[in-house]
Amino acid sequence: MSQLHFEDVAVGDEITPLVVTPDETQLFLFSAATYNAHRIHYDKHWAREQEGYPDILVQGPLQSALLARSVTDWIGGEGRLLAFSAQNRAVAHPGQELTFGGRVAATRREGGRGVVDFELAGRRGDDVLMPGSATVSLPLREER
Amino acid sequence: MSTSSTDAPELIPPEARERVGEVVATAVGTVERRDWQRWAVAVGEDNPLWFDADHARAHGYDDVVAPPLYVQYAVLGVTRLEELRADGSSGAASGNLAFPAAPKRMAGGESTAFHRPCYHRDEITMERRIDSIVQKQGRSGPFVLVTWRTTYTNQRDELVAEATTSMIARP
Repeated sequence: MSQLHFEDVAVGDEITPLVVTPDETQLFLFSAATYNAHRIHYDKHWAREQEGYPDILVQGPLQSALLARSVTDWIGGEGRLLAFSAQNRAVAHPGQELTFGGRVAATRREGGRGVVDFELAGRRGDDVLMPGSATVSLPLREER
Repeated sequence: MSTSSTDAPELIPPEARERVGEVVATAVGTVERRDWQRWAVAVGEDNPLWFDADHARAHGYDDVVAPPLYVQYAVLGVTRLEELRADGSSGAASGNLAFPAAPKRMAGGESTAFHRPCYHRDEITMERRIDSIVQKQGRSGPFVLVTWRTTYTNQRDELVAEATTSMIARP
């Protein structure tokens, strides 16, 4: 895969969307990897009877990790993630198709690199479950 | 300006409110390649920067690196089963704030600035303080928004990352 350079990027460009349908196995492994025993991510009875959800919930940190992954996948090995933010706005359940991505909001040159701001969103269909943003730095083509 | 409507119940106990500004957690942990790779595959990651030292070196790093968001998990400690809340969650890293009138918790959001990468066997020190505790009125009723500010430094006292995280607690 060729490296993305700052000169390749313009405001409004869409990053390649990441489409994921988390299942119970992925939720379990993510809870294990983050040492998280919160029942709403594995105990369907608890999620329904105690908290009133129709099913267990996809972890917010898993959704934000997927949103960040959509950026780090797109910027390539020479890109650097400088900042990332995400807000949990609505819950998601296993088996639901989620799309993570966004668009370039601003670009500038800084210290021999290009800096790019993204507006991001994790979506289920048209519903925004997780708005977010990221700032990355990219190499300049002319520096190579 | 009040953020809660006049008839909304008070969800924040005074003893929680008094802790704003307090350092509620410090932790030290070692960044382990196997652990970040387990985290990464749970996210479906196949980015070779997290898995392939030669690839990482060819792209400006000293060695294979941890995914930036992973640093928050490198410092997780151990919680005894009997110390977990009834819902299984652990309050260990957030100051064990109690909101008896708002027991349903979910992660609110996170905002992190990344200053340098984490390598295998880096020793990370986390310090977290309570930034704010406020009651808000949402579409589905009142809730508590707790915000923490957290710094991560490595064994050379270099700042690795700074994070603002939040949690929502509902009745």
